[in-house]
Amino acid sequence: MPDFNVRSDSVNVEQIMEQIRARIRDKRGVDYTEQQLREMAAVKLEKFLDPRGVRSDLLEQFKRHQPAYEPPVLPSFTFEDTTIYETPRGLLRTIRKLLNPILKLFFNPNPIIHVLHTQADLNAVNLLREAAREKQRMEIDALYYEVIHNLVFEMTRLGIDTKNVKMRVESIASRLEFNERRARALESVVAYREPDESEGERRPEAPPVQAPRPQPFSRPQNNQGGWTPPPAPQPAQAVGESIATSGSVPYSGASTPGTPGIPGGQPASGAGQPGSQGPQGPEGPGQRSRRRRRRRGRRGGGAPAAVVMGAPGSTGSTETAPQSADAAFPAEARSDAPAASNEPERAPESSGPDNDTDPQ
Amino acid sequence: MKLAVVVQRYGKAINGGAELHARYIAEHLAKHAEVEVLTTCASDYVTWRNELTPGVEQVNGVTVRRFRVKHERDPRVFGQRSVRVFDHAHSLADELAWLDAEGPASPALIAHLQKHGERYDYCFFFSYRYYHAYHGARAVPARAILVPTAERDAAIGVSIFAPVLRGVRALMYNSHEERAMINAASGNEDVPGVVVGIGSDVPQNPQPARFRQKFGIRDPFAIYVGRIDENKGCKELFEFFSGYLRDTPGRMSLVLVGHSLLDVPSHPRIKHLGFLDDTDKFDAMATADVLIMPSYFESLSMVALEAWALGRPVLANAKCDVLKGQCIRSNAGLYYETYAEFTESLVAIERNRWLSGALGRNGRQFFREHYDWSVIERKYLEMLDRLSKDTKSAARTIPPLPGWFARRKADLPPAAEVLAGLPTARSPAKGRA
Repeated sequence: MPDFNVRSDSVNVEQIMEQIRARIRDKRGVDYTEQQLREMAAVKLEKFLDPRGVRSDLLEQFKRHQPAYEPPVLPSFTFEDTTIYETPRGLLRTIRKLLNPILKLFFNPNPIIHVLHTQADLNAVNLLREAAREKQRMEIDALYYEVIHNLVFEMTRLGIDTKNVKMRVESIASRLEFNERRARALESVVAYREPDESEGERRPEAPPVQAPRPQPFSRPQNNQGGWTPPPAPQPAQAVGESIATSGSVPYSGASTPGTPGIPGGQPASGAGQPGSQGPQGPEGPGQRSRRRRRRRGRRGGGAPAAVVMGAPGSTGSTETAPQSADAAFPAEARSDAPAASNEPERAPESSGPDNDTDPQ
Repeated sequence: MKLAVVVQRYGKAINGGAELHARYIAEHLAKHAEVEVLTTCASDYVTWRNELTPGVEQVNGVTVRRFRVKHERDPRVFGQRSVRVFDHAHSLADELAWLDAEGPASPALIAHLQKHGERYDYCFFFSYRYYHAYHGARAVPARAILVPTAERDAAIGVSIFAPVLRGVRALMYNSHEERAMINAASGNEDVPGVVVGIGSDVPQNPQPARFRQKFGIRDPFAIYVGRIDENKGCKELFEFFSGYLRDTPGRMSLVLVGHSLLDVPSHPRIKHLGFLDDTDKFDAMATADVLIMPSYFESLSMVALEAWALGRPVLANAKCDVLKGQCIRSNAGLYYETYAEFTESLVAIERNRWLSGALGRNGRQFFREHYDWSVIERKYLEMLDRLSKDTKSAARTIPPLPGWFARRKADLPPAAEVLAGLPTARSPAKGRA
């Protein structure tokens, strides 16, 4: 995690914050502030969403249009048995009381009073209930708008995250593709030499093979003309295998068709590859002189070692085994340092199976 | 020389930022001059209820004269007037009504200044936004030295304050950002001013082991000291720290010190210790790996200065330009605006001991150079000396309020709009206070 270049008291907080921000950018892509997210949410919604549908400024709109809740002023509907006789004037009230028996001669007001009293109670209860419902509805509305607003906000955030993830996936896919191409290129530069009788005749000093040795990129038995790429290895393995094969491939080309992977009378050590000599046994007779010739060829104006060895040009052979062996892996991976300077010129020539033929 | 320190609340048990600032200044200036504190009987900053006895008393050797508050604050009325002044076009009368509603309205204190102001050579008014500072400075403008303790909030956009900020003899700022903001809001560049800040009596030998033993805290931890309040950015702090616990393999815990007005998340690595006395508080700060300051609005964070004095790095909210500026100038703290920055900064401090140690050392040096009491006292005394020689500024006055009709003309812009128009202060050169 954070590993800042702080090894003294002279820290610079602004530089450290820049490093931290760079780290964040590397990790997460562009990092938006909350304010930026809100602005983007608004812009996106204005641009893409149906304006009749979800609105980006829901909460603001809601707050603007929604009045604050105020409990309603409930009218008094109380109706008692004395209500119909009430009056602020005392004299009139007295007269009404005196004349009340006369009124009752004409009709009975008590049932009317009772009904009105009950109705007044019902009205009061209903109003209270309605007010409570109204309050509850407004609270739920507020929550509802809040939820919708948050959903819109989170949708925007998710959209941005998705975009970032897509970009990362594309980046990883391109890297994968590059690695696959690189692996194919590494596989293709491994060349196999056709069995060449004349060459065999020219190497009487080559001792017979002592024991068969595993050849990762050995050519199939019945493949005489070209060569078939070996099974595609993992990128890391490909380099390792190239290194392991680098010395042996030229010699595997000299193997007889009937014994694929077995050097035809040649030791399997890596010619001129210090690292590869150990596991593959000591150098055989003639190998040292061949290596010397190849080096001489490189120093002498960049002529391919294969030419000096007479494999492609001088003998008319269709093999370019030494070229392929050198180009089979990057220069920095090779242990033969002097040869590295010539490598860029030759590498393209041996980039495909077609180049198994004489490059000249 | 006789000095008056005028502040809204005062007392040993009163730990508000500006109030503590005033008390420290009064006690330290008392070594050099005769100091009298003029304050109210209130101890609660929400209600301004008269809870202390009016009259004269001694607090830590300083004479304190208390005056009654005329009325308590009505939060509903204050809220309505704040909305009116901050968010709508309004009149001067609205602003005066807002100031009266904000409190602590103590006409007796102002009358005392009008009547006996000549007794004092200079009067230090703390917190420009309160009733006592506005009316007190208008009562004795030739003696008024303002310690504004201004934060970047809408109050700075209230128009009644600009004449006062232009009319006092001098201003003692807490930070360069505060000074830039006030200059932009009031155009008072020609008023003598100096960035001073405040010192702190940090113990020389805090005991981390004692703290760990007493509270049973073994893990590395970040500390927050102060009121646990949404206004202080604690809600955001909880969100960010919960994310840190969820998203990173860091081992840091969060220790909270102070009274809580918020629900503290229930998590084994978030510990709320409540209010601690100074000994425990400084032990805790000395033990912590980092102090977190999540506040959006600060004119000066005393807690951050104390952390630096103890050699601890600070992780501050960059939305507060004062804190960010101090981190940059001191090279003693990191800052964050987003969750990602918070997490990465915290992890950086946690995992890189070189960084943590260098920040802490820089903080200690920064405190020693700019906030040691000898430095603070010297700056105050130099300002007093400068004013005593400066006859030009002695003639400075504050223009009277306009007439009845002009005061009721609703042509003043919303204070929030004024604030939004103020430039964000750029951090001055490093190494400055």
